Amino acid sequence: MSGRFFIIALHEGGRFREETWELVSFARRCGAADPVMMVLSDEGAIEQLACELAHRTGLDVVGLAGSHLRGYSAEAYIRTLVPFFRDASGKIRIAAAHTSRGIDFAPQLSAGIDACCITAVEDAGEGTFIRSLHHGRFRAEVRADRAKVVVTVLPGAFAPDDIAPGNPGKVGIVPAGDISLSTLSRGTRAPVHANMGLTRAEVIVSAGRGLGSGENIRLVTMLSSLFPKSALGATRAVCDQGWLDYSHQIGSTGNTVSPRLYLACGISGAVQHLAGMKNSGMIVAVNTDPDAAIFRVAHYGIVEDLTTFIPLLVDRCLKRE
Amino acid sequence: MKILVCVKQVYDSPETLVFDEAAGRVTFGPHTVFRMNRYDEYALEEALRIRERLGDAVVDALSVGPPRVGKTIRRALELGANHGIHVQTRDETCLSAFDRAHLIAAASRGRGYDLVLAGIMAEDDMESQVGPLLAAVLGYGCATGVIFEELSADGREIAVEREVEGGSRECLSLALPCVLAIQSGINTPRYPALSHVLRARSAELECIEASSLAVPPPTQSLVCILPPAQGRQGEIIEGTAAEKADTLIHILREHSLLPR
Repeated sequence: MSGRFFIIALHEGGRFREETWELVSFARRCGAADPVMMVLSDEGAIEQLACELAHRTGLDVVGLAGSHLRGYSAEAYIRTLVPFFRDASGKIRIAAAHTSRGIDFAPQLSAGIDACCITAVEDAGEGTFIRSLHHGRFRAEVRADRAKVVVTVLPGAFAPDDIAPGNPGKVGIVPAGDISLSTLSRGTRAPVHANMGLTRAEVIVSAGRGLGSGENIRLVTMLSSLFPKSALGATRAVCDQGWLDYSHQIGSTGNTVSPRLYLACGISGAVQHLAGMKNSGMIVAVNTDPDAAIFRVAHYGIVEDLTTFIPLLVDRCLKRE
Repeated sequence: MKILVCVKQVYDSPETLVFDEAAGRVTFGPHTVFRMNRYDEYALEEALRIRERLGDAVVDALSVGPPRVGKTIRRALELGANHGIHVQTRDETCLSAFDRAHLIAAASRGRGYDLVLAGIMAEDDMESQVGPLLAAVLGYGCATGVIFEELSADGREIAVEREVEGGSRECLSLALPCVLAIQSGINTPRYPALSHVLRARSAELECIEASSLAVPPPTQSLVCILPPAQGRQGEIIEGTAAEKADTLIHILREHSLLPR
């Protein structure tokens, strides 16, 4: 597939997000051997960021600089990127990571440059993009019907590719001009619900909506008591329901964990949850639905009703001792 | 203040979907039941709370879809929305986020909304696009993943916190009018009050034919629906419930994950 391929490298506090290197793999999967790396920042930081990209990837880098890019806002990114791409002709693909910032600006960028926008992409076909839908039960193969396409790529879908054996790429810094924003960035607040107990636990017993009710939380508590050094985890939905508080949340907006054993109880396996636990040593899933996406990441799966299976499991475990 | 809440009707359980692998299509099954997208319930609740704080705001609920969608709009009225708008499509043809955003923009233009709220994503397509696309089409500012909001005293701007990876929050202020894509957990959605339920029963929904709205040509086409990617070849433990429990205990002990 011909045309130009751009990767927008997202960064915070002077560091690039790890997904940046996965996007290089994605570009190559799409047939673009030499994508152009792009980074947006204020004049003080742009040089160093752009040079780091050029060294790590060996690819050419465009740095877009302006004082309005000191802090992140979707508006700052869109008003910088839209003029850059709007009048470009020919086939253009632009990729960013499907992170909270990637999905914040990508759709608006696409609207500003008459592009197609496809989010949470996890694979590429012959000129097509593939993404999951319906709780991970199916995938959709989608074709863009515009010359320009903006895609956000699911974190973890591609292996990182940031080892450049050759020379660093060329760096070009482009001033983005004076842009005054109507959005005011006011910094970042630390997580309210970080849970050190979860990150240190060897075993995490985790609850999903499939548990059915807040009352059934006692089942996962009972199960976790079998394991020393264990902790209780939960999906976002369980925390939203108030069954457990947010300090237990595992997933992209919660804690990221990699215990020796992750026991997923009634968890369907939405990508946001998988992002927080897929690197666990052993994953065991119990769910009534045999087609739940969690069974495709689990090492062992059990199709059973939790309300009867957990008491049985605990009972048989204690009897054997 | 005029507030628009975009609500999508989704199926209750993906287990009721029917997959025609040869045709590469998924359709609703005979047992599919529909309800409001959970993320939109949080958006609606937040709009109702803003109205309660201000005293004189109006909350409209809008949904795009075939006639069955009317039920979800009525649900929004039961929960307390003032007015329901149904952008009605003829059939079950799947609409992209782009199509939906343009239909909503066309239906809401000229109505003077100060604030548009939507859920951060729909549970079925998980695209996270309608809110930001709608903002772009209307020329409004936008923030996604909103977990906190506070209107300024003069009602001209809104301070928001966006939830990002690991639970950190990005703080920003947006000028009104703007679109907020609401994260779940920002509030606890209420149960409908009886008075609202009674009122919703007889309320008239404003119906707009989607075909009467000017929308640009689609930006993408669906090639086909595929089964999920082959993931890890994990083992499904078979047997009676007791046998499954024993096998699992055995495996965990073998790996020294469970004390003997």
